[in-house]
Amino acid sequence: MMASPPTPTTTDTRRDAPPLLEVRGLNVAYGDVQVLWDVDLVIYPGETVALVGSNGAGKSTLLNALSGLMNPLSGSIRVNGADLTHQPSRRFVHAGICHVPQGRRLFVGMTVRENLMMGAFSRTDGAAAIRQDFAQVLALFPRVEERLNQLAGKLSGGEQQMVAIGRGLMARPHLLMIDELSLGLSPIMVDTIFDVIKTVQAQGRTMLIVEQDIQAALEQASRGYVLDTGHITHGGASADLLASDAIRTAYLGI
Amino acid sequence: MDFLLHPSFWPQQIVNGLLIGGVYVLVALGFSIVWGILNIVNLAHGAFIMLGAFITFFIWDATNLDPFLVLPIAAAILFVIGYATQAGIINFVVRAPLLVTLLLTFGIEIFVTNLALYKWKADIRSVSPSYAGQSIELGSTIIPITKLGALGLACAITGLLALFMTRTKIGASIRAMGMDLTAARLMGVNIPRTYALTFGLGAALAAAAGTLISATQPFDPSIGSSYTIRAFVICVLGGLGSIPAVLVGGLLFGLIETIGSVVLGAGYKDAITFLVLVLLLVFRPNGLMGKEYYR
Ligand SMILES: Nc1ncnc2c1ncn2[C@@H]1O[C@H](COP(=O)(O)OP(=O)(O)OP(=O)(O)O)[C@@H](O)[C@H]1O
Ligand SMILES: [Mg+2]
Repeated sequence: MMASPPTPTTTDTRRDAPPLLEVRGLNVAYGDVQVLWDVDLVIYPGETVALVGSNGAGKSTLLNALSGLMNPLSGSIRVNGADLTHQPSRRFVHAGICHVPQGRRLFVGMTVRENLMMGAFSRTDGAAAIRQDFAQVLALFPRVEERLNQLAGKLSGGEQQMVAIGRGLMARPHLLMIDELSLGLSPIMVDTIFDVIKTVQAQGRTMLIVEQDIQAALEQASRGYVLDTGHITHGGASADLLASDAIRTAYLGI
Repeated sequence: MDFLLHPSFWPQQIVNGLLIGGVYVLVALGFSIVWGILNIVNLAHGAFIMLGAFITFFIWDATNLDPFLVLPIAAAILFVIGYATQAGIINFVVRAPLLVTLLLTFGIEIFVTNLALYKWKADIRSVSPSYAGQSIELGSTIIPITKLGALGLACAITGLLALFMTRTKIGASIRAMGMDLTAARLMGVNIPRTYALTFGLGAALAAAAGTLISATQPFDPSIGSSYTIRAFVICVLGGLGSIPAVLVGGLLFGLIETIGSVVLGAGYKDAITFLVLVLLLVFRPNGLMGKEYYR
């Protein structure tokens, strides 16, 4: 086996809490083609974890499995202790897992406001709490507030990414997973999005971030996992990963 | 062709066209939603309309209840039938190629139509409430009361449906599912249930159309397929994916069919339907209002 399960570092005090997400021995395939092999991954409450790897490594596939879009061949997925393996997506949503997918996948024929409200579709904590989060999302993304009544399909790529993240936050998730956080965005927009991530992080939200810019992703996160052709090859504290020669030569080109 | 020049001719034809057009709006509404959102061209839609007409007939016959008051009952019954059909049969082929659902719904249409023929025979029936013969006269233009009521109800139901789709959470989830199935899953939408709800809604709208047809014209168990074809042409005419498009397509089709069949002769009624279809597919394949997402 190539991957050794990353052991939590003792420097992080949050490790005392039970894991929010615990993935063990996950194998995932598209038909006959297996894409993920024996993936182990743990996320603790309050931390930001980066998932990095080259194109086609299986990052999106892993996120799809972690939100119930794909049914794994074997292995287990536990959220706050509850076994969600083989459950449909809505169970993951109810358990507080929110997946902002690659390509944003906004509802292009709906207004921005409707898109944000769809994010709150599965909430049961009442209209007042939803309104409060709506105001918070708009405070986070002032540009989105100006576009509330426009069709989401008419927005620029950066604005769409803002709405996609906002729609994710509207679910008030325990874990927010964002695929390709900054792909295809202008440098200014990338800065804006990373600032927002910092704010959300400071609010105590747990996040799993998939990002092309490995340096930026690891600087943002406290921990990271490296996925290589379907195997987790490295995992650990961001600082350790950034210092590792293997990662520097393979992914950072240094 | 002197009658074409008579001063009362055109106003009367336009009124007739709009009156039947209102019914056609309702005929096509459920068909359009099922096609636009579930990507199912439901060939059993006309059979559902026929069932709605018969349910109205039997309840009216037994209780003498006003047919327009029977409408919600017929719609509720067909909603249950539609929901069960989707949940029990069609959900197994969710996202199946169009051909598979075509075959499946064609099978349902044949089954329902033949069962109705067997049970109820090919007798022509009609529902005629006490006020059936009455009409309003505007100058030389005659407006039958029942047809006016049907038009009014069709418009009201269309408006209510638009409100349902845009103002309710279930409506939003139905539209979301039509735009992006995966994203709808990620919002926590229960896809099998929402599929069945949408199909049930389509069947309920078909039943409502059946009620209006039963109150305004004679019918028998074999009327279904002619309404499925009209629904199809109206969707192509107006454009798939929005309620206003069905409104425009239905009214326009009523006018074209009515005026076409008095000018060319009633025998050409079905030929006109196909002519409209062919012309559209050649010149305006996305419909007059273009393709949209239910709004
Ligand atoms: N729908 C699919 N059917 C079959 N194979 C697929 C499908 N989607 C992805 N794959 C394959 O699975 C592997 C992992 O793909 P995945 O999209 O998860 O990678 P990724 O790490 O997200 O890549 P990227 O950086 O390009 O987004 C790739 O080899 C890809 O070709
Ligand atoms: Mg990807």
